[in-house]
Amino acid sequence: MFQLLGQVLQQQDSEIGMILNTLFSLAFIVYLFYAQKIQGMTMLRQIEVSLRKIKRYRDKGKNVAVEAIKDYGKPEQDPTPQVERFIEHFMIEPVSMDPAGVVQKLGSIMNVREFTFKQEVVRMAPEATESQRNNLENLLEASLVLNQFYKIIRHYYLMGKKTMNIYIIMQIHMILPMIIKQIEAYSAALQAFRDGIPIGDSVGPIVASKLLNGAPTKLVATEMMAGEIEFEGRRVIVTKAQGPGGSVGKPGDAIDFLVNREEGKVKMLITVDAAGKLEGEEVGEIAEGVGAAIGGPGVEKYKIEKAATENNVPLYAVAIKQGMEHVVAPLVEELMEATDKAVSSVKGLILDYSEEGDTIIVAGIGNTVGVGQ
Amino acid sequence: MADSDVGPLAGATQNWTTLALMVVVGAIALASLYMGFTNYGEGNMETAFMYILIGVSGFVAIGFTFFKAKPATKTQDGPKEVEVVTTLECPQCNLKRVRAFQPGDYIFKKDEPCTRCEGMMTVTRINARKDPKEKKD
Ligand SMILES: [Zn+2]
Repeated sequence: MFQLLGQVLQQQDSEIGMILNTLFSLAFIVYLFYAQKIQGMTMLRQIEVSLRKIKRYRDKGKNVAVEAIKDYGKPEQDPTPQVERFIEHFMIEPVSMDPAGVVQKLGSIMNVREFTFKQEVVRMAPEATESQRNNLENLLEASLVLNQFYKIIRHYYLMGKKTMNIYIIMQIHMILPMIIKQIEAYSAALQAFRDGIPIGDSVGPIVASKLLNGAPTKLVATEMMAGEIEFEGRRVIVTKAQGPGGSVGKPGDAIDFLVNREEGKVKMLITVDAAGKLEGEEVGEIAEGVGAAIGGPGVEKYKIEKAATENNVPLYAVAIKQGMEHVVAPLVEELMEATDKAVSSVKGLILDYSEEGDTIIVAGIGNTVGVGQ
Repeated sequence: MADSDVGPLAGATQNWTTLALMVVVGAIALASLYMGFTNYGEGNMETAFMYILIGVSGFVAIGFTFFKAKPATKTQDGPKEVEVVTTLECPQCNLKRVRAFQPGDYIFKKDEPCTRCEGMMTVTRINARKDPKEKKD
C-alpha cells in the first residue's frame, strides 16, 4: 500500500503532488513521534465524556436523596448541607497485619458506622417512619457510593491530564466500562430505595418470606426476624432481615442466636442469596452448593461459619444468579420468577439431606427493601 | 463541593487540537480528490483511483470522528427510571390484579379489600416491567 502510494506520489511532477508528498511525510513523522500522545489524548477525551456522565449520576443521587428526605422526613431546614456531609463519610478498615480478631474489629467499626448513619437519618428526617428511615439510609449510601466513584475517576482524569502519563490514563481507561456499568447499577438503586421497590438482592428475603407464608415472626437479632414452619415432618426455622424497609440486618447474629437456642438440634443450615452471574449464564438461574452464601465485608459470613462449625451443622447454599446491573436495581421479572424455583430448591435440599423430626434453619440473605414477612 | 472542577475539563485545548487535525486531514483529502479528478480527466486511471481513495478515506475519518463524538451529547438527560408494577392476589378467590407500583407497596402486604369477595388482597409480586425496546440477549 505504502509502496504503491510512494510510487504514485513520485510520479507526480506537479506542485500539488509535491505538497501532498510533503504533507504525507510530515503526517507520518508526526505520528511516529506523537502517536502515544495522540492516543493518550483520545483516551483522556473518552474519560472526560464518561466523567461528565458520572457527574450527572452523582448529582442525581444527591438530588433524589434531598427530595426524598424532604418528602418523607419533613425537616425544618433544607437537608442539602447534611446530605453533602453524609456523602463524604468514610470508613477506615482495621489493620490486618495482626489478623487475630480482625473480623471483630471490623464488625465493631461497622456497627459504629451503622449507628452513625441511623442517627444522621433521624436528624435529617425526623418525621419518617422506620421503614422510610431505613430506605433513606440505603438511598444515602447509594449516593455516597456514586460520589466516591465520581471523585476517584476525577482524580485519575485530572492526574492524567496534569502528567500526560499514558500509563495513568490507561489504568482508568481500561476499567472504565466496568465502572460505568457499576455506576449505572447504583443509579438504578436510587429509584428503588426512594420508593421502597424490591431489588435484585432482595431475592433471598423473598424466598424466606415465601417459605414463611404468613407464619408469625419474632425479632431474634438486630433487624432480624425469624418464624417457624413445618415441612414434611421437619421443623424449619426461617430467618430474614426485618422488612419492608431497606435493611440487610445481621444474619450472622440471628443464625448464631438460633443455633445456640436450639442447643445442637439444628441438623442443617441453608443460606439463600443472590450471586453474581458469569456472562452467558441466564438471569435467575438457581445453583446449589455448600458453604455460607453471603456477600459483604465478611463479618456476617464469619459469624455464620463460626456458629456452624462450633455446632457441627452442615452449611448448604442456594444461589440465585444475576448480573451486576440487577443487584441493586428494581427487581426484574426473571428474578421474581426465580424465587419460586429457589423455594423448590430449598425444599428439595431439605428433603434430600435431612430426616423427619430434624430442625433446619433457612436464612434469606440480602436487602429486604420492599419485602414484608 | 467544587463542581467548577469540571469546568476546565471542557478540554478547550483538546477540542482545538482535534479541530486543527481535522482541518489538516480535510485539506489533504480535498487536495487528493482534486488530484484524483485531474488524473481521471487525463486518463491515468490507476493514479486517479489512488488519489480518490485517499481523499474519500480522509473524509470518512472526519465523519467517523463526528460520529464517535455524538453519543456524548445523546445521554445528556442522565439516568432514566424504570416502570414498576405490583401484582395483587386474593388468597380466597384467586382474583389477580396488576397495577402500577405505588410507594408503600411491599411484597406480602395485605393491601386492599378484594372486589369479588370478602378477602384481603395480598401483594405477591413487585417487579420492573420489561422494556419492550430492550432486545433479549
Ligand atoms: Zn377475593
